[in-house]
Amino acid sequence: MAEKNLGAEPRATVSLREGESRPTLLRRRRARPDRHSRKRVAFMHYGYYDVAFQYFTEHVLDADYVRMPAPTRRTLEIGSEHSNDYVCAPFKHILGDYVEALEAGANVLVQFTGYCRLTYYGELQEMILRDMGYDDFEMLNFSFVSGRPFKDYVAYCKKVVNPNLSVAAGVANMLVLLRMVKHLDAYNDYYLANAGFEVEPRSFERAREAFFEDMRCCSTMADVDQAFRRGMDALRALPTSKPERPVRVGIVGESFTAADPASNLEIERKLLSMRVELARTLNITNFILRYSEENARRSAAPYVTYDMGPTSSLTISAAKRYIEEGFDGVVHVKSSGCTPEIDCMPPLQRLARDYRAPILFLTYDSQTSDTGLDTRLEAFYDMLAMRKERTI
Amino acid sequence: MTRSTGAPERAFLGVDTGSISTKGVVTDARGTILARSYLWTEGAPTDAARRVVDELAAQLDRERYEVVAVGTTGSARRLVGAMLGAQVVKNEITAHAVGTTFLHPDVRTILEIGGQDSKIICVEGGVAVDYAMNTLCAAGTGSFLSSQAHRLGVEVEEFGDIAATSEHPANIAARCTVFAESDLVHKLQVGYEKRDVIAGLCRAVATNYLNNVAKGKRVEAPVVFQGGVSKNSGVVRAFEDELGMEVLVDADGHLMGAFGAALLAADAPESQRRPFAWDVDDFEFRTREVVCGRCANHCEVVCVYRDDELIDSWGNRCDRGAVRPRARA
Repeated sequence: MAEKNLGAEPRATVSLREGESRPTLLRRRRARPDRHSRKRVAFMHYGYYDVAFQYFTEHVLDADYVRMPAPTRRTLEIGSEHSNDYVCAPFKHILGDYVEALEAGANVLVQFTGYCRLTYYGELQEMILRDMGYDDFEMLNFSFVSGRPFKDYVAYCKKVVNPNLSVAAGVANMLVLLRMVKHLDAYNDYYLANAGFEVEPRSFERAREAFFEDMRCCSTMADVDQAFRRGMDALRALPTSKPERPVRVGIVGESFTAADPASNLEIERKLLSMRVELARTLNITNFILRYSEENARRSAAPYVTYDMGPTSSLTISAAKRYIEEGFDGVVHVKSSGCTPEIDCMPPLQRLARDYRAPILFLTYDSQTSDTGLDTRLEAFYDMLAMRKERTI
Repeated sequence: MTRSTGAPERAFLGVDTGSISTKGVVTDARGTILARSYLWTEGAPTDAARRVVDELAAQLDRERYEVVAVGTTGSARRLVGAMLGAQVVKNEITAHAVGTTFLHPDVRTILEIGGQDSKIICVEGGVAVDYAMNTLCAAGTGSFLSSQAHRLGVEVEEFGDIAATSEHPANIAARCTVFAESDLVHKLQVGYEKRDVIAGLCRAVATNYLNNVAKGKRVEAPVVFQGGVSKNSGVVRAFEDELGMEVLVDADGHLMGAFGAALLAADAPESQRRPFAWDVDDFEFRTREVVCGRCANHCEVVCVYRDDELIDSWGNRCDRGAVRPRARA
């Protein structure tokens, strides 16, 4: 062996370099691949769920979120201009939101699916936007995969938004998201019941803004729970002067218009400013996460026998429950031309007659003047208050 | 109650500024109407309110009565309220309910058809328990009737008498103003008599009202019918036929909103009472629309000026667009 190597190059050499000694370099673990997608995802405006949409984008899809300022009159103007006149108002609001999001640099737009025409809205809105000349965007339209197995959802999100999406992290964060939505809804329930009786004007509104910002910064389940606790503590600490028998009103109706202040001309704020205790069963928690159509329908018996569409059973059962719980009145909110909610009106009228409880029916289109709404709400409030005064 | 010599009795002013007509009444503390006025708004609510106040001032014994509180209602309630310094600014539904239940304590259903809107108020035990108002369109209201009267070349005031002479009212669809109009033209061209068409029109107003505004509401006697259209005996008869019950029309039915506003003003807290100066003629009232540029909502803020002093403003959706008048000295 030794002879073989004779005259060959030395296997290794050691050289000494002058100067300071360097620390020994240990082999590092291989850096994690960056799974983040640079797609800029935008949603429509829908009540206070903006916070949840952001969490979904950043922690489930792992992409950039385009946070949009509150919709304005211009948003609706653009939306109505490019929509069919007879389509329901949510379509117009959402289309306007999309245009503003694209102007702000979004390149993925998210649309949901439902049990009504909403299922077709994503496709139609995409076509309208492309006709308007917006090319550089994709739709994440969940109606394409609705009813299909979970892996199709994942494949679809991967295809449109983030090919490196981590399924494990996504699922874990989805659970956090669901908790967040439940907290947002629970917070809102307390807000609606008490904000009308605040002592310092706008104190509830300010607390709510702070809560949303707090929630927006959360990333783990513990963060979300703590933010909720902090928010509720702050809200409960605010001084209120609630009369013994406040006027109580329940809000029911179409899932978009009844829950979105920009669509219903802030009906909740208007009623709260009249010192009314409000309740709205319709929210994502009650309508999607914990919803059982059959149970809702049964509790609305005998007013409903069949499933009539997206929110019909919920609307009627919620109205019935409010009245049975002694609420003074119910406001039914829908957009013009919403067929499922129009179908709800005869059972609601029957309910109102049977229980001698007033129900105010409001229909919204893309109107922006709220004088007519103010008149109706004021009259409704006066009526409830006078009625309450006489019936002790 | 004996009146102490010298001290004037208290009275209350109510003004109802609707889209077509402006109504005003002065009542005393017992709710008796002391002065009444009814005239056309003519698209100028401030001017109409000024004329109403002048008419009332001429009718009222101002030595004996002193107006201590003002209530306004109707679609221009806020503007006229600012102008008259009203203590109470109430919506027309409440005002009508309050006024009617005062005069007819046993009323169960109030039908009201005005110039632009129509409503039904259900009353139980003197308290409104349910109401509905027309949505989206003005078919079958006063302005529709007067435009059709114009087309037929008769005065809308004569409608009732002409309709009474008809034996076979024409069948006219009044669900939508546009359809009703083409139906009406068609009937005339086919050769229907004018009186039959007019009677059909009155009938159509009543059925349209019952099928739309009053849909789902139980109409129970006693029924009171008010608003400008209640002066049309043809429509009253059509309602009686459709409902199969008597429909009461008050001589002051068209003033009921103003009357209700006066009653509400009388109910306002004592501390807010202030003698009404009858000086609206001495000031010039101006409104100015300002487009708020603080965000993309571009709210149109309406500012009301008395001479050059800002007295009220509205139209802003948030506090950023608030324009506040200087506190009264």
